[in-house]
Amino acid sequence: MRRRVVAGALVAVAAVAVGLVARAAWPSGTHDTARGLAREAAKLPPPEQPAFHVARPRLLSRSETAARFAPVLHTVQAVAGPEAGAPPVAPLDVRTPEGTANVVLVLGERRRPTGLWVHVRLPVLPNGRTGWVPRAALGGYEFVHTHLVVDREQRKATLLDDGRPIFTAPVGIGKASSPTPSGEFYVRNRVSGFGDPFYGPIAFGTSARSAVLTDWPDGGFVGIHGTNEPQLIPGAVSHGCIRLRNADILRLARLMPVGTPLTIR
Amino acid sequence: MNELEPTLAEIDVDGALQETAAAVTRGDFLRRAATATAAAAAGALVTEAVAGAAVAQTANDIAILRFDQVLEYLQAGLYTEAERLGALKPETLAWARVVGAHERAHLQAIKLLLGEHAVKSPGFNYAGVTSDEAAFVKTAVGFEDLTAALLKWQAPRLDSREIVAAAVSLHSVETRHAAWIRKLVGLQPATTAFDKPASQQKMAQLIDSTHFLVSRPVTSSRKKPRYTG
Repeated sequence: MRRRVVAGALVAVAAVAVGLVARAAWPSGTHDTARGLAREAAKLPPPEQPAFHVARPRLLSRSETAARFAPVLHTVQAVAGPEAGAPPVAPLDVRTPEGTANVVLVLGERRRPTGLWVHVRLPVLPNGRTGWVPRAALGGYEFVHTHLVVDREQRKATLLDDGRPIFTAPVGIGKASSPTPSGEFYVRNRVSGFGDPFYGPIAFGTSARSAVLTDWPDGGFVGIHGTNEPQLIPGAVSHGCIRLRNADILRLARLMPVGTPLTIR
Repeated sequence: MNELEPTLAEIDVDGALQETAAAVTRGDFLRRAATATAAAAAGALVTEAVAGAAVAQTANDIAILRFDQVLEYLQAGLYTEAERLGALKPETLAWARVVGAHERAHLQAIKLLLGEHAVKSPGFNYAGVTSDEAAFVKTAVGFEDLTAALLKWQAPRLDSREIVAAAVSLHSVETRHAAWIRKLVGLQPATTAFDKPASQQKMAQLIDSTHFLVSRPVTSSRKKPRYTG
């Protein structure tokens, strides 16, 4: 009996000793667990290839020259300052005479206790006028990176994209009796398929207006369009509009979105 | 709920939740985005594939991805516009700059995956949110929190394991966006041990309530012009 007790005690001591040695060898005590997990992991199915890989994110270029415009959502009176009591400048309709949304070029914003006000370029006479409207009168902002420059002296149009020229073409401008106005404007719509060779295949409406032909139907807006008399370009031949050869206006139409700022100098 | 967390009404910055007259277009758009393909492809596999590229093939997957694409449009547009206007605090603009780039990359990836089923870009009207610090932050927190919750809801509903694998790679990024913007404005970045999913329907309601989705303005016409000539 005594021998059995001694033997049992020795076995117990040996077991404890083996445990201590094992613990010393693998102090974390997780060796077997980790091995087991690794064996289990090896039996898992291979990983799926993701259906898509997201490309490297592209930050906006800090140098880009974006302009913004917005449609007029409801008839509104543009005023001289960012407050409701400011003197009226001009009313803004929802639609243009061509039936398109009446868009305005946005020049800036100012927050007032009464709300957010937007400074806009107006398609009214005298040319170059600006005014303020409540933000709520306008729809969402759209951004463009293009800018059209028309040089009356050189009779040349140049389209810039982020400041780089991407298009040039000779143009016809207004005669001395009906000059093309100079200043800062914007392209506010595009019409095509109207079937009148005089305007060519495509015409753009601008915010510029003839200061001479004030009784012209629909307000005497200056357009940028094709022609059925390409031999007159370049030259001072129009009633104020900017005429391009048809091949050139078609090329321009592929590059220039509505809302593009327009400088006529 | 933390009192600083945005509510639906706060995200609807113009207080236009009650306005229903103009909701038809937006509602239609969201319904189209969520379910348009279901009718066309009900019960059938969409077999068109882009050669050499993974494409969404089942009606389920297409409907889910189309919804995500609209959401990515909305987020990318919001953050991009905020960056362009530059009216927010510098740290918020820095967040918008990085996260905007991420969302644009997500959008592009989803568009490629959808191929011909991709949704055309809607118009957006953020109505001043992109230049209002408080409104922007509330909207951003709401969008990022809910996008992460939405992906949790969608993942088990996807048929393709490949798309699940891709979706989880977006999910973790969206949760980082959420934690980042929360920390930026003093909210707890991680408030719970387990996150709950948010359904596509709930997200659709949120998007609709913001009134951010609008029709694009019609700027072209076939009417004979009367320019001076």
